[in-house]
Amino acid sequence: MATPVIELQNVSTIYEGERVPAIHEIELSIDPGEFVAIIGPNGAGKTTLLETINGLLPYTRGRVWVLGRDIARFGPQLRSEIGYVPQEFQFDETVPVLVKDVVLMGRYGRIGLLRWPTAEDCARAHEALELLGLAELAERPIGKLSGGQQQKVLLARALAKNPKILLLDEPFSHLDFAARDEVAELIARWHRERALTTLIVLHDLEAIPPSCHRVVLLDEGRVRQDGMRERVVQAFALSYRK
Amino acid sequence: MYGVPWSLLITLLGGAALTGAACGLLGTFVVRLRLSSLGFTMSHAAFAGAALGLATGVEPLALALLGAIATAAVLGPIAERAKLPADVITGVLFPFTMALGLIFLYLAPGTAMSSSALGLLWGSLLAMTHADLIRLAGLTGASVLIVGLFFKEFQALLFDRKLAEESGIPTRPFYYLILFLTGVTIALALRLVGGLLVFVLLQSPAATAFQFFYDLKKIFFWAALLGVLYASVGLALSFMFDLPVGSAIVLISTLGFGLAVWRSPKRHRA
Repeated sequence: MATPVIELQNVSTIYEGERVPAIHEIELSIDPGEFVAIIGPNGAGKTTLLETINGLLPYTRGRVWVLGRDIARFGPQLRSEIGYVPQEFQFDETVPVLVKDVVLMGRYGRIGLLRWPTAEDCARAHEALELLGLAELAERPIGKLSGGQQQKVLLARALAKNPKILLLDEPFSHLDFAARDEVAELIARWHRERALTTLIVLHDLEAIPPSCHRVVLLDEGRVRQDGMRERVVQAFALSYRK
Repeated sequence: MYGVPWSLLITLLGGAALTGAACGLLGTFVVRLRLSSLGFTMSHAAFAGAALGLATGVEPLALALLGAIATAAVLGPIAERAKLPADVITGVLFPFTMALGLIFLYLAPGTAMSSSALGLLWGSLLAMTHADLIRLAGLTGASVLIVGLFFKEFQALLFDRKLAEESGIPTRPFYYLILFLTGVTIALALRLVGGLLVFVLLQSPAATAFQFFYDLKKIFFWAALLGVLYASVGLALSFMFDLPVGSAIVLISTLGFGLAVWRSPKRHRA
């Protein structure tokens, strides 16, 4: 049996100033190369779960192991191996950063202190931009792009890392239908070709990529269902109807 | 020139240029990270510290440094976690530090509004010494070196702190390094520009550069260069019209920023 890439043992996360945990006693184990969708109603704790996994939010109870190490102790090193696309982002027109720099920045953690990006770093960033069809926008300020284009830039940034784990929080939320299909296909291809462990948070059940066979249902910060896609989606649909 | 010995003139011009360069460079962080309220409070804490120095006979610069850095140490975590809105921090602490400064000036031996006291408020040409010049050169050199060495970390932090953390950069040490350097810059700039006005020199050159560029390297470069320009032209005006040097620098800085907003390509459609 393979060692899990992500393992949460009895994990709770409470936001500062709150009393009720946003996620509560989570037990979750993700094997290498798995493609898992996290679904649930608004406020279920889906984003909190992703940010607890990559250590952006410190957990208050339990343990989170990523790539065999404790995220609380090795956060920056581990995050340099994790690609993450956040749900919330807003770059106003004054942000002094070009698209190509945003993508290259994804690799800064890997490059390390007192080192400069190499030609290979720049090539990876350019490759990621081309994959997302953004190469022509490379010299434009990020704040001048539409929300959908900005979301694609953040996905390119995550892929430019050449990550071992990909965490995607509502990655289609700003995209039109055509772009959504294109991006979903790209994510599926990366998962398939690179055996990339992928967690995708979605509220739209229709958007779950076909190659994603395991689904975790979160509700009120707890894991309610975890299993085969059809069974969990059906359970979620039923509970919503009620 | 105007009866001022060349050696003093060179000290003054060098001091003005270095103050402007350091303020412009550090101001880029202040503007982008929206640390205005923190910088404003730090500048008045530095003023209060220097005034305490005058009142007690302790070196004003040492207490100005202490005031600015202590403010950064206390308010940094508050601003970082955004527990209090920026205007609340300024609203409460600006009058407090200002009141402290004025009380210390009142308690200073001699006339309350002696030339050294006024120099703390408005800046003074005569207060600039050769030792100040060396300190300013050290600060500016160190700031350039630090920004150069850690440019990619600062770039990521100035883009988006959460995304910088996400890419594996521990942002907290860099954030506090910025606050520390800003505190030192404010304290050293106090002599030339004065406690009431030093913050403008920290804000205007960078805010002007932001009107023209999207490339952070260019913004750092031009903010430092504009800082030199504003401080030097302000100094010249101060000589020509016998104005307080701090006020003259602020007038030029504000004029420069106003022109930049008017001509900014970012505000015009292609």
